[in-house]
Amino acid sequence: MLKRLSAVLLLLALAAWVPGAHAQQGPIKIGAILPLTGSGASYGVWMKGGAEMAAEEINATGGIGGRKLEVIYEDHAADASKAVNAMRRLVEVEKIPFTLTSYSAPTLAIQPIGAQNKVVMMNGGGQSDNLANKDYLYNNIPVVSNEVGVLAAWLTKDKKFKAAVMIVANDEAGRNSAKSFREKFTADGGRVLAEEQVALDGNDFRAQLAKLKAAGGDLLFISSYGRNVAIIADQARELGITIPMAATSWVQIPEVMKAKGAEGLLTTRLPFNPDSPFARKFKERYKTDAGFFAVQYYSGTKIFAKAAEEAMKKAGGKLDGEGVKNAIESLKAFDTISGKLVFQPNHAAVMDIEVGVLKGGKVEVEKVLKANP
Amino acid sequence: MDLALQLLATGLVVGSLYALCALGWGLIYGTTLHFHVAHGAVFALAAYYAYVGQKLLHLPLIVAVAAAVLAAAATGLLIDLLIYQQLERRGAFRTSIFISSLGLLIVLENVLAVVFTPDPMRMDIGALNTALIIGPVFLTYLHILTVCLAVSGYLFLMAFLKWSRWGQAIRAVSSNPEMARTVGVNLAKVHLLTYAVGSALAAPAGILVAMDVGAEPFRGTRFVLLASVGVIMGGIGSIPGAMLGGIFLGLLENLGIWKLPSEWQSAISFGVFLVFIVIRPRGFFGRTIHSAEI
Repeated sequence: MLKRLSAVLLLLALAAWVPGAHAQQGPIKIGAILPLTGSGASYGVWMKGGAEMAAEEINATGGIGGRKLEVIYEDHAADASKAVNAMRRLVEVEKIPFTLTSYSAPTLAIQPIGAQNKVVMMNGGGQSDNLANKDYLYNNIPVVSNEVGVLAAWLTKDKKFKAAVMIVANDEAGRNSAKSFREKFTADGGRVLAEEQVALDGNDFRAQLAKLKAAGGDLLFISSYGRNVAIIADQARELGITIPMAATSWVQIPEVMKAKGAEGLLTTRLPFNPDSPFARKFKERYKTDAGFFAVQYYSGTKIFAKAAEEAMKKAGGKLDGEGVKNAIESLKAFDTISGKLVFQPNHAAVMDIEVGVLKGGKVEVEKVLKANP
Repeated sequence: MDLALQLLATGLVVGSLYALCALGWGLIYGTTLHFHVAHGAVFALAAYYAYVGQKLLHLPLIVAVAAAVLAAAATGLLIDLLIYQQLERRGAFRTSIFISSLGLLIVLENVLAVVFTPDPMRMDIGALNTALIIGPVFLTYLHILTVCLAVSGYLFLMAFLKWSRWGQAIRAVSSNPEMARTVGVNLAKVHLLTYAVGSALAAPAGILVAMDVGAEPFRGTRFVLLASVGVIMGGIGSIPGAMLGGIFLGLLENLGIWKLPSEWQSAISFGVFLVFIVIRPRGFFGRTIHSAEI
């Protein structure tokens, strides 16, 4: 009798426990494929920090649908093949529904894997125009042709530059931005006299800069990013290149802001408030100034949280990549700490763009312009 | 014309760096017949010794640099003493020595990357950074120093080999090891000295690059590769050849892109090398090569 009673009680206990096991348990894992080492390590500090802070805040308020959020960080070091390996591991072993991603070439390399396995990718940093209109890939940053368009128009119309020479990083992002600049600058009445390509991780550009100096012109456009921009700027001045230099916002990392050669750089800026509560919290925690990309990856993580909650509501607690994608498509607009973010039909975002001059380590903004989608 | 002059100047500076590496590597190869690719690790280590000396031990720059050169010489010597000589004692083939050298290069570079991170470690070089304008050519004092050091290094080495007893012993071993041993030269000691001198010549190159753009763990591989190309081009066993080969490579890299697109920089350098070596396998000043063993 006692034996039968305890068996029934055991069965009742099991019955109460089992329905919970039907729903997915355990933490929600997402990926973050970032430039943690290499010439772009400064971006990595911002991106990882932003995502980390967002994940902690999300978990502090109960997680997503009651489940904790766990971010798995992977390093691509600007190498597309490393990004592919990381993506495969995240998709096949960790079975993630979503990953943050960065840089143009690595993101383009992992996009087919994400599309095939129905894993949503959120790019907060890469800006190649080729990143638009790709399945399962969303960009919470404007593509570079928007920024370059604004910069080129300002340089020709307001600053009256006529002839530019370009130094270009020999990868997807560098070449794409250079192509865009060439199109927009010549459309606005300027001429591009010469172009030289350099390696992202190189450290001696004197030969290429000497050739550009010989070509003349009144403006040097730097279509590169990461640490080598500081070296380019310093070596250009060292070689006696006195003409002004211009670059888009992606060059604004600490090494470049401090570089002597970069003083007077004409540049764009995507919205970032260095006095916001987020920036202050970031500085306190990571002992370094926050930047635009920190906000980007903070927002990207929060966008996932919102989309995931929506997906889980619709699917009775189930969470997968397709659900997240559908949620993003149906919600379209998200409230972020930089304002309202709206994903365009081409899967990219539109933001206000500022133009200004780099002086004493800070960008002095001259104008704020609305970007063209 | 201005551009050509600027490229010529930059080419001489870069060539001086290659020449310093080639002088050291060529001395070692000519005397020991070891394909010592770990020379690249000594190049990289010298840069870090100087960085540590200045930035962590707060020594004045000159002291840090001098100490780094001595430390690099000691490193090269220890590599021979603890690794190559041990292998030779056990009857290793020269290929095994090459493989061990390659392994050592990889291990040391990665240890540096772990300890110091792969990011370049910058040094303070004060006034050496100031630009000097000679006609249409822009150089820094650091660049002028580089060329001066390469020339002095070459002259010192030639004098050492010609007039000092130890230098003559090295030449004896380089020319005919068996005969040298017969007349009483201690081969092991001569090898150690060769490594010390050869490494002491590569050290300034590594340090000068570090003073220009920062110390990096993986830069040595490229320099040792170009040093070996410079030595082969100059002729194995010839010190003037190594100097000439290094400078020639630097000039080729820079002047080569005067009229051609700069993406072709490496292709041009190695392309010319390939054609040259087919036409004249023994290089500028070398002896006729009888065997192709590394």
